[in-house]
Amino acid sequence: MGLGMKKLLIILAILLGKIAIWLSHLLGKQGSNFPGQVARRIYPSILRELAANINEEIIVITGTNGKTTSTNMMAAIIKEKGYSLVHNQAGANMMAGITAAFVNASDLSGRQRFDYALLETDEANVPLLLQELTPKVLLITNFFRDQLDRYGELDYTINLIKDSVRNTDIELVLNADDPLVVHFQNETGLHCWYVGFANTEYDSFGSMESREGRYCVFCGSELQYERYHYAQLGRFSCPACGSHNPKPNFCGHDLQMNPRISFKVNNIDIKSPYQGFYNAYNILAAVSVSKLLGIQDDTIQRAIAAYQPRAGRMEEFFINGKRVVIILVKNPTGLNQTLSAIVSDKEAKDIFFALNDNAADGRDISWIWDAEMEIINSPEAQIATIVASGLRSGDLALRVKYSGFDTDAIIIKTDLKNGIETVVNKQGRVSYILSTYTALFECRKILVKMQEDSGEILEKQFETEN
Amino acid sequence: MALYTLAHMYPDLMNLYGDRGNLFCLRKRLEWYGHSCSIKSYGLGDNWDCSQVDMIFMGGGSDREQELVYRDLLRKSDRLMAEIESGLPVLAICGAYQLLGSSYHSSDGKLMDGLRFFDFYTRGEEGRLIGNIVLNSKIEGKSISVVGFENHGGRTYFQDSSLEPFGTVVKGYGNNGKDRTEGIRYHNLIGSYLHGPLLPKNPAIADFYIRAMSERKGIEIDMELDDYLENYAHQQVLKKAE
Repeated sequence: MGLGMKKLLIILAILLGKIAIWLSHLLGKQGSNFPGQVARRIYPSILRELAANINEEIIVITGTNGKTTSTNMMAAIIKEKGYSLVHNQAGANMMAGITAAFVNASDLSGRQRFDYALLETDEANVPLLLQELTPKVLLITNFFRDQLDRYGELDYTINLIKDSVRNTDIELVLNADDPLVVHFQNETGLHCWYVGFANTEYDSFGSMESREGRYCVFCGSELQYERYHYAQLGRFSCPACGSHNPKPNFCGHDLQMNPRISFKVNNIDIKSPYQGFYNAYNILAAVSVSKLLGIQDDTIQRAIAAYQPRAGRMEEFFINGKRVVIILVKNPTGLNQTLSAIVSDKEAKDIFFALNDNAADGRDISWIWDAEMEIINSPEAQIATIVASGLRSGDLALRVKYSGFDTDAIIIKTDLKNGIETVVNKQGRVSYILSTYTALFECRKILVKMQEDSGEILEKQFETEN
Repeated sequence: MALYTLAHMYPDLMNLYGDRGNLFCLRKRLEWYGHSCSIKSYGLGDNWDCSQVDMIFMGGGSDREQELVYRDLLRKSDRLMAEIESGLPVLAICGAYQLLGSSYHSSDGKLMDGLRFFDFYTRGEEGRLIGNIVLNSKIEGKSISVVGFENHGGRTYFQDSSLEPFGTVVKGYGNNGKDRTEGIRYHNLIGSYLHGPLLPKNPAIADFYIRAMSERKGIEIDMELDDYLENYAHQQVLKKAE
C-alpha cells in the first residue's frame, strides 16, 4: 500500500467513524460499538496508528470493580493539570469502544497529538488491546466474580492477562490487598507498584460476604486473614507457604467515612464527596497513578475534592420532596456495598430493583444469590417495600423472599416506569432505585422526567463540605 | 418440630454461580413447613460422618478447586456411596456432578479421576455451553418442567445405558448438547448442570428433597406453601425460552 493510499484510508476511517459517532448520538445510542467497528473495518490498524500520537503515556485500567470511577477520577486530575487526553467512556471498553474514543478525539488527519491516553478495558479484552498498543502503566483494581458467564471462570481470565503482559516493559499498579492480584509480580517479573490500605476502623474480622480467592494461589492452602477491608480485600497471609500482602508503595491511611471519604495517601490529605470503602479504593488508585505520572499533590487534591458522582452512580433526584437515589449494581460485591450503604441510611425507605439479563448485564443472574441480601432484614434497615422489576423480576423477588423478607412487602412490577412510580409513591422518606446496566439509562430517564414534572430543580447534588 | 441437618460440602471451594441459594431455599421452606434447619459446612480435611446428615449439597468450582476436592472426597467415597444406595438425598451441581462419574478429560489434555459412583465420563470440548435451559422431568411420578441456567465446558456422556437422566432437554444443551439428556437421577440423588440456582425456581424439586428427607426421619409433611413468586419466576424463564 502506498503512503498516499494509507493516509487516505486513515482519513476515511476517521471521517466515517466520526459520522457514525454523530449518528449514534443522534439515535441516543451511547456506548455503541458501531463507530469503532466502522473505523476498524476501513483501516484495521487505525488504533495502532492513533495510539502512536500519545506524547507522554498510555495508561490501561482493568479489573472487576472500580474501573470507571477510578479512570474518571484520573481523567479529572490530568485535566486539572491542563494536559490533553484520550479517554474512553464507561460501557465502551472493548476494542471498538476504545478505537471510537481515539477517533472521536482525533482530527481528520489522524495526526493530532495528545499528552495522555486513559483506557479502561474489560478484563478479557486486555490481551487483545495489548496487541495493538503498549501502555506504560497497567492498573489492576481487583478481581471479583463478575461476568463469568461470558468468559468462564476467573482463573482463566487472570491467566490470559498474565500471559499478555509477560515479556513487556509495562509497569503494573496492583492492589496490594487482593490475593488474586498481588501474585502478578511473581509470575511476570515486571516492575510493580502496590497500592493498599493500612488498618482502618471500618475493617471486619470475619464477615460473611462472598469471597473469591480465599485460597493461596501458590500452594492452594486456605489464606488466613488478620482483617478484611471489604470482600476479599484485606490483610492476609498463607500459613503453609508464607506468602502475604506486599508492602504498599502507596498506602492509604487514616481513613474516615462520615459518610464522605477522607484519608491520607503517604501523608497527602485527600477529601472526596464520594462514599463507601470501594470508592476509597478508587480514589487511592487514581491518586497513586497520578503520583507516578509526576503530578503535584495540590493538583491531585483539588481534582479529587471537586470530582462528583456521575449519572447513575449514587446520583440523587428530588421528586415531590422525596429524595430518590439511583445506583448501578452489577455483581455481588457491588450489591453488598450498595445494600450496606442503604441500610446505614437512617431514614425509612423503599427499594426498587431492576434486574435485566441482556448480554451487557450478564445472561446469568444467579449472582444475586452470592450477595448477602439477608442484611435487608436487619432492624436498622427500615425497608418497608421492595419492588422487583426488569426482565428477571421473578428471580429477584425470589431472592428477596428467601432472604426472609415479608412476602406481602414484595411487589413485582416488571415494567420499569410502573415499578419506579410504585416505589416513589410509597410512604418511606427515601427511595432507592437499583438497576443493572441495561435498565440504568431508562430508569434514569424516568427519574429525570419525574423530577421535572414535580417542578423541583435539582439545587444540589451534594452540599459543600461542612 | 424437627431439626434437619444439611451438609454443604466445600462451600469455600465449590460455590460458583450462586448455587448456595439451593440451601437457602431448603432451609426457608423447612422453616415454613414448621421445622428447623441447620446448614453445616464441611471443608478440606474436615472429619464428618454422612450418616449424621439429612442431605448433602455440593456445587461446582474451577478445575484447580475441583482437583483439591476430589482428593479429599475420595477418602470418604465408600461410605458416601453406601448412604446414597440407602436413599440419602444428594444434590450435586455442575462440577460436583462431574465428580460422580469415572473421569474428567480437560480440553488441554489433563485427565482427572472421578469418584466412579456412576459409569459416565466428562470431556472438555471447544466452546462453553451457556444459557437458559428448560427440561422435562419426572418427580414423584409427576411430569414437570424444570428451568435453570447452564454454563459448562465439559460434556458428559453416559457409558451405561441404564443410567437415568434427571430430565430431557426442551431448550438448551444439557449433558453434552447432543443426546438431549440432562443430569443424572439415582434414588434420592440428583446430579445436574443447572445453576440458577435450581431449587428456588423449581419448588417441586425442593419439596421432593424435603419429602425424601422427611420420610427417612419418619415425619409427615401435609401442608402446602404459597408458591406464587416461585411459579412467577419459573414462568418468566419458560416464556423467555419460547
